[in-house]
Amino acid sequence: MDAGAAYMKFLAQGVLLDSKVVTFREVSRALHVHNNTAKQMLYDFHKSENEKRPGAVYVTYVVFGTKKKPTEHRNGADDDVEMTSSMPDSSPGDVIAQAFSLDLIPEELLEDALEDYEEVRSIHVYSAAAHSAKDMALLADTAQEAHGSRNGEDNLSGDRDYVITNPSVRRRERKGAATNVAATPAGTKVTRKEIKSAFSKPAPAPSKLKEEVKASQPAPEAEKASSSAPAKKPTPSLKRGGSANSGIMQAFSKAATMAKKEKPTSQPATPSGDDSSVQPMSDDGEDDSEMPQPKARAGTGRKSRKEREEELRRMMEEEDEDEEEEKAPSPEPEEEPPASPPAKEEPAEIMTTTSDGRRRGKRKIMRKKQIMDDQGYLVTIQEPGWESFSEDEPALPPKKTTSSAPPAPAAKGKKSGPKGNQGSIMSFFSKK
Amino acid sequence: MVTLKDVLHSGLLQKPSGDEPKVLQRSESNYTPLQTFNLGKDLQYQQQFADIYFLRLTKIKPSLEEVANSAWEGTVIGDETAKKVERVLDVRQGELCWVVATVYMDMPAKPNILEDVSKDRWISAPSTVQKYYSEDGLDSVMLEDESGRIRLVGNVLKKYFLVTGCIIAAMGTENANGEFDIIDLKFANLPPQPERWELSKSSQKGTKSGRKETKIKDEDVEMIDSAPSTQGKKIAIVSGLEFSGSDSSYAMELNLLLEFLLGDILDPAAQSETAQISRLVIAGNSITSEIKAVEEPTEKKLHKKYGYDSTAYNAQPSKLFDDFLSELLPTIPITLLPGLLDPANASYPQQPIHPAMFPKSRAYTSIPGAAEPGWLDTVTNPWEGEVEGWRVLGTSGQNLDDIFKYVDSDDRLGMMEAMCRWRCSAPTAPDTLWAYPFQDDEPFVMKECPHLYFVGCQPEFGTTVISGPDGQMVRLVLVPSFSATREVVLVDMETLDVSTVKFTA
Repeated sequence: MDAGAAYMKFLAQGVLLDSKVVTFREVSRALHVHNNTAKQMLYDFHKSENEKRPGAVYVTYVVFGTKKKPTEHRNGADDDVEMTSSMPDSSPGDVIAQAFSLDLIPEELLEDALEDYEEVRSIHVYSAAAHSAKDMALLADTAQEAHGSRNGEDNLSGDRDYVITNPSVRRRERKGAATNVAATPAGTKVTRKEIKSAFSKPAPAPSKLKEEVKASQPAPEAEKASSSAPAKKPTPSLKRGGSANSGIMQAFSKAATMAKKEKPTSQPATPSGDDSSVQPMSDDGEDDSEMPQPKARAGTGRKSRKEREEELRRMMEEEDEDEEEEKAPSPEPEEEPPASPPAKEEPAEIMTTTSDGRRRGKRKIMRKKQIMDDQGYLVTIQEPGWESFSEDEPALPPKKTTSSAPPAPAAKGKKSGPKGNQGSIMSFFSKK
Repeated sequence: MVTLKDVLHSGLLQKPSGDEPKVLQRSESNYTPLQTFNLGKDLQYQQQFADIYFLRLTKIKPSLEEVANSAWEGTVIGDETAKKVERVLDVRQGELCWVVATVYMDMPAKPNILEDVSKDRWISAPSTVQKYYSEDGLDSVMLEDESGRIRLVGNVLKKYFLVTGCIIAAMGTENANGEFDIIDLKFANLPPQPERWELSKSSQKGTKSGRKETKIKDEDVEMIDSAPSTQGKKIAIVSGLEFSGSDSSYAMELNLLLEFLLGDILDPAAQSETAQISRLVIAGNSITSEIKAVEEPTEKKLHKKYGYDSTAYNAQPSKLFDDFLSELLPTIPITLLPGLLDPANASYPQQPIHPAMFPKSRAYTSIPGAAEPGWLDTVTNPWEGEVEGWRVLGTSGQNLDDIFKYVDSDDRLGMMEAMCRWRCSAPTAPDTLWAYPFQDDEPFVMKECPHLYFVGCQPEFGTTVISGPDGQMVRLVLVPSFSATREVVLVDMETLDVSTVKFTA
């Protein structure tokens, strides 16, 4: 019974260890067995586990048959006295349609449910779980994911085994159809999982994995922010924070109004300080695609409607923002300061001495400062300040003050204004 | 009554047996859609709607006159013989006569375009009235043709369903008030019914000479040998799937429906029955329109482009529906009718949903201009075609729902029957059912009697068989909304017997 051992092991892993809901389709897919065999495997697993320890595994059954009191379908001709009398041609409608029922029943209700049946044509185990299947929505989610297409796989390529095949199926061959089909699910896959990971309540086991994800996620973001484009990152996030006006964003809106000026840099800083607080709004789209995908997913609930709407709104706003930014940079004047300083930087440099090939002087820089605000959050603010320097080559940036200071690249000798902040294209057109 | 003992250790409730399960093959679908309701590409909307009524009357009048003639020929009441008059205006006071014309229902609660125009209401929203019918007897029935209009009175009116646009023959006399007091009225009754396999036979005739011989041999008998076998074959009809981005309360039932049609669930015996379902027909309302009923006043300025709130659009429903279709299509061909909620035009006849709505499933649709119907056939609503030899007429329910508003009754099957007897599948178009202003053809007139007539998106299931004077038999089916009843309708394509499967989770 090595085959038997294989599926027992698979099911024990899935149901008991990962506390997932395992449907026959999942078994069938994972072990490459026929659907019907998978149903028997689930049954066998349920039986043997509950012999060892009653109540260890709960299953749901699918029952197909006719109910004892067939839902008497209203027959129009019966209560249609007027018509039948008026239409002598109409035959007295004695046609009652046979009504079948296909029910999904948790095992504890099976016995009662069966009493309603007159005839059972078919019964089998649908799914197994370590707990009673109270929430059918949870099961629906699992069941849906057992379908190829919902996993983002190309189910058109025909790699899937169908119980009923259709030899006459026709498809049209289109150029680029394959890429289209492949691309669409891939994109949705990411967003789907990403939502899931934020929604970690029902599954204790995978949530550990997610902790790692959370921890690892801010890292690339922070790197990106500090190394490549220091000004780019904060600007859009400020806008998003400032303009979001409902839902989760509301929690942040207070802070946003209080410290609008401080906001830009707070974004990269907060994740390292207290990552759980920022988690709900972490999905900036581009960042999340970098995060490792948690493989274990079962048990996570269906993504709620609110979250989906929220996601949608955020997406839409982002788009709108981009446009608005082009045509109207004024609505939030606070966003200007981070954009302007680099432009003024050059004249702010004051030379005091230029002797023996060395330059000494003071220049104005933006200093980063971390403070704890009244709500107990660590925020990083930028402050203008003077810094003295002494150097032998004219444009060498100082490595003096703050260790984490990113303004260094911006302070390079050449005019790096437009590059340093891609925030507003309007600065390009402004009178000089 | 079934007990647990009866079912235990049987079938799939036992250890894996190790038998190699046999692969099932789905029955082939013999399917010829008709283009009755396709509008073509170069649509004009400049013309008036009156032509529809004119065309309808001229199409139905000859056969209705025949019916009326045979019924009322030589009828003598008092000492007067009923005679036929050509036009409504020719009805004279005190003369017993009969006339064929179009019914117009004058109802205060009915939306009225003239009223809208006179009150300067140019943005017409679809009417939300539940019933046009009013209890207080203010409604009146008129009979009109291009010459004029006359009010109908008489008890006989209460016996029938009458709606705007149906063609009747009425016999009576005009009374002192100028009303037409009618004694009897007639409908055209069921149109001639094509014999089974008519379309496929005519298409085969030209191509296959071998078939031709057999056909000539037994021309008049049932062509069993040349017709494909349909023993046990079924089609599944479902409507109102209403895939939603927000309401997932019946997601599991939808999933069970999917697995049922795929043949994934149930045991080998039941699966082989499922394999007999040769086609799935989706009769409208596959996608919900997520209308945000309440706008939150506290919300700050929404970002709108051209007045359109882009956040209001949710792609989720159509994506879910596409997933559903693409999952099913490898094993079963699908005919898809648009419905009230679907992304198609609002006016009758609704044109096919564009395949671009289904990025995954569109590979199964036909190439534009191809003669062969697509594996996923997005069709019009109403739609006519030949399935397994039977002539099938189907709609997504707007025509019936609109008739329902006219009459004081809940008998939807009776209304379906009435439509067949009127020979008109959408009589209330263009009065209260929005429709395209046809000029040359009035496709809603039933030229040929269907064998199977289904109407989708109905509150509950119902079915009956009606028969006509020339031996026509029509199976009428009210297809319930899946979102309301979780039911799918199976029609046996040999006997046209109907069964339902209800999903509960």
